Amino acid sequence: MMNVEIKEVPATQNAVILRFSGELNSESIGEICSSFEKLESEEKKFAIADMTGVSLISSAALGEFMGARKRFVEKGGDLVFAKMKMDIRTKLNLMGATKIFRVFSDIRSALNAYKWQVERNPEVLHLKFPSYLEVVPPLRQLISRIAKLKGYSNKDSFRIETIVDEVCNNAVEHGKQGVDQKIDLKMSIDPQKIELDVVNMSDPEKMDSLKALLKPRNGAQGETSDSKRGRGLALIKMLTDELTVDCSEKGTSVHIKKVREE
Amino acid sequence: MNLNFPYNVELRFPGDLEYIPAIRKFVSELLQVSGFSQKFAYRSEIIVDEICNNAVSYGCTGENPEIELICSLFSDRIEFTIKDQGGDKINVEKLHAALKTADLNKVEEINRGLGLEIVRMLSESLDVAIDKNNLTSVHVVRKREDI
Repeated sequence: MMNVEIKEVPATQNAVILRFSGELNSESIGEICSSFEKLESEEKKFAIADMTGVSLISSAALGEFMGARKRFVEKGGDLVFAKMKMDIRTKLNLMGATKIFRVFSDIRSALNAYKWQVERNPEVLHLKFPSYLEVVPPLRQLISRIAKLKGYSNKDSFRIETIVDEVCNNAVEHGKQGVDQKIDLKMSIDPQKIELDVVNMSDPEKMDSLKALLKPRNGAQGETSDSKRGRGLALIKMLTDELTVDCSEKGTSVHIKKVREE
Repeated sequence: MNLNFPYNVELRFPGDLEYIPAIRKFVSELLQVSGFSQKFAYRSEIIVDEICNNAVSYGCTGENPEIELICSLFSDRIEFTIKDQGGDKINVEKLHAALKTADLNKVEEINRGLGLEIVRMLSESLDVAIDKNNLTSVHVVRKREDI
């Protein structure tokens, strides 16, 4: 016998949790169907099926879920599973259903997915690291992995990695050195764009060379060893949609915006 | 290698389980570029995975929870400090229970706190502080084995 309890999610307009329990089989299809119809009539976009208490799901019942998911997706939302027992999840795997449905280990992760997908809330990562070149490769790989995790393509993720590498290398090379010198990196990511802010203390002895790098490059000039040094910044400008650099004796602050391409 | 010990790297990331694989990989790579062995880096990765999972699972309530992880690298060890914003009463009690050394012959104790047992096995010290607002801070020290 099946039971379903519908629970509103506080502070969200479009998300709802359906707590299922018992056996989801052909006898429960009517009730499953009417639960989803109720949500659709209330114009809910995102449903989280809490499967903690579910002991069985038949292919007929799964078919109802698939139909409901299709309708949610057409409205820009989704139907996801959460807190599924391992044997049920294995069964869904064998049926190929995990290629269609996202399955979260807890409700919070499912709600985060809602906030990301429907409300388009940005997620923020902060890093503070010392001014050492050695730290830059792990850091750019971290940013790239997070971009891929959030659904950015390999191409976009690699371009973001390139941007992070250039900006952080510049911060190390042109900033003040020393174990107490920290570089601050803030990444804000949402489904449409990534924004990076990198702040560090400037090295007064390198201010002139840094300001020279920031001057617009004149393509008519032949390449000299000095003009070769500005390539990193030129590369960043090519790869980003916005680049702002604020450079003074107090510190250097770089803001970058990269819009998702794929 | 130009870096000098000790140095700190501080991260703040959303309290969501999906971030943890990327965070632990970052720590592993950071250790390797700092001259620690792959074995040390991998075991430290296991520690980071466990403490981050606990912080997210037991310490994240509220609208937009964040986890703070500080990695302090010394020439002979690494220290991790992880802070969460505080769980609800039930989860804090679960954490207290998990902190007691588990008797691995008792099934219920294994089910309760195996993650922290793994951290204890792999580290030299594990300290947890929970303040009156349930803000939790976990500090782990892992010493280098190859020196």
